[in-house]
Amino acid sequence: MSVIEMENVTKVYKIGAIETRALRGLSLTIEQGEFTAIVGPSGSGKTTVLQMIGCLDRPTDGSVEVNGQDVVRLSDSQRADLRKGTIGFIFQFFALIPVLTAYENVELPLLLTGITARDRRERVNELLDAVGLSDRAHHRPDQLSGGEKQRVAVARALAVDPVLVLADEPTANLDTENGNQVMDIMRRLNEEMGTTFVFATHDPRVIPFARRTVELRDGRVSDVWDVPPEMADDPEGLVDRAFDLDGVHVGHRDAL
Amino acid sequence: MMTLWRMAYRNLGRNRRRSALTLIAVGLGMGLLVVLAGLVEGEIDLALRNGIRLRTGHLQVREESYEEEQFSLAWEDLLEDPAGLASRAATLDEVRIATPVLWANGVLGTVDQSMGVRVVGIDPGSEAHAPFRDGLVAGQFLSPDDRSGILIGRRLAESLDLEAGGDICLLVGTANQEPDEAVFTIRGLYDTGVPAYDETTVLLPLDKAQAFTRAEDRASAVWILLHDREDAEAVAATMSEPRFDVVTWRELNAALLSGVEQSTGIMVLMYVVMLAVVAVIVANTLLMSIFERTQEMGILAALGMKGRQILSMFLLEAGTLGAMGVLLGLVLGGLGVLYLATIGLHIGDMTTAAAYSEMAIPSTIYAEFAVQETIMLSVACLVITVLASLYPAWLGARMEPAEALSAL
Repeated sequence: MSVIEMENVTKVYKIGAIETRALRGLSLTIEQGEFTAIVGPSGSGKTTVLQMIGCLDRPTDGSVEVNGQDVVRLSDSQRADLRKGTIGFIFQFFALIPVLTAYENVELPLLLTGITARDRRERVNELLDAVGLSDRAHHRPDQLSGGEKQRVAVARALAVDPVLVLADEPTANLDTENGNQVMDIMRRLNEEMGTTFVFATHDPRVIPFARRTVELRDGRVSDVWDVPPEMADDPEGLVDRAFDLDGVHVGHRDAL
Repeated sequence: MMTLWRMAYRNLGRNRRRSALTLIAVGLGMGLLVVLAGLVEGEIDLALRNGIRLRTGHLQVREESYEEEQFSLAWEDLLEDPAGLASRAATLDEVRIATPVLWANGVLGTVDQSMGVRVVGIDPGSEAHAPFRDGLVAGQFLSPDDRSGILIGRRLAESLDLEAGGDICLLVGTANQEPDEAVFTIRGLYDTGVPAYDETTVLLPLDKAQAFTRAEDRASAVWILLHDREDAEAVAATMSEPRFDVVTWRELNAALLSGVEQSTGIMVLMYVVMLAVVAVIVANTLLMSIFERTQEMGILAALGMKGRQILSMFLLEAGTLGAMGVLLGLVLGGLGVLYLATIGLHIGDMTTAAAYSEMAIPSTIYAEFAVQETIMLSVACLVITVLASLYPAWLGARMEPAEALSAL
């Protein structure tokens, strides 16, 4: 079953008289349970695609369906409801609420759904445990390392048991060790919970974690390829062959 | 809601200096308003109480034809049996004291100077005149059978260079329209604390005043003090007779009460200006805070928080700031009122101007905690604080999530 269906999506940003076409008739389908990377150079439209899927913005043209719902036609309030119950977000800049503790940050989406305090407590503890942060639950973001912050963000994204988790450059602000740790956790939760993960990245190091890669160029899907299982054990060389260090794709499956 | 409140409260602690400065501004504004309200309340109350105890009483029973402004002494304008009328009034439960008084215009003269005065004939034994007896600063009080004694205000004595025991010449108009004059010995000097009264009023024993002005047993009015001034209208109705004019303290202090109404308008204007300043400060603080936290609003929206919830969070933030500011203002204002209620505020001799003579405003005014105004101001300050935050909060709540998230 498709969790995401984008059909001929166009997005034009207007700043004064200047029009920027971020997406140019992009079509994309993502099935339930996938662990998909959206890759491409800066300006290729990765973040815009996630914003369309995540109901954070509306397309200029085309249709976007999330979990069977045409999100283009939904009101702002309905889109907020869809985000609340169906979609989890992980951002590059961690995006934790600085005045809340790790526990409270994870609890926040649950509070919006109105579940009981006991269920909330159980769920938050379970998730903090899953990301290895039980002992840091009552620390505020400024008392956590970058890796810990992003793990809290992963726990928060999964709090309401969403159908879909969208992650925009989740490792961009992390060193290799922490980046791999976060990707490991995401991948494990994808496998254990069956939650669909879509993450945008131009970091070649995280490609081996994906099962499928959607490559964007100039606002369109330029290639879609499955990541071979052996790449997960990689050889860093394979990664380097797939992408150069500027993040510009120079190869694809055939090259591996 | 608890989480929203918790976030709102903690957000205030993010930029402590800014929040503290805003809090101080709200607190000072509110405190100043509480002190102003207390001063006005105290001044009005004191002026009214002084007016009643020194000049008007709670009720006056007079002949219908009596002209208050002219201090008429014509027999037809005076009460024929004031003592009997006072005795009757005194039998009413609501009446504390009833005593006849006689008013006349006079001129007090020394060898070098003279000054127009109001001559008041009083029953020296009546408790109604306790303020003069209690306010005696030199000499002694009048006795009922004193035929040559006069009591004058200390300020009047100072301006005419007189002292207790000295002699003074008093000229009065009489009932038969002819002036008469006599020399009186100053028995004592009084100070009521109301300059306008002390500079213009001299007291004679009622019998002497009646004889001197040829009023015989007549009096200008029966002067009544009640246990509760709110009973004035009811007692006036009981005492009402066709030939009498029964006038209540409200009518007798109409100038003061109308002044109060006018000053209320000015005070409301001051309240509005002060609260507007508070509102601008709060709105400014919240606007800065929102611009700093644009991205955070995008995160909250991404988590599924609706615009109205984000709006509520900012309103709670402003409400918390407002409530803390009001509390601070109440403490500061309360201390200010306490100080001014104890020490008072000396306003000097400005009250001696003729325009103020109808208002018994003392030279030192004391604040009184204005409960009603303070409650009203607290609520208004809180409401205005929240209202002032509506625009910034709305600005934050209406932002597109993607737009907010990209604000780095």
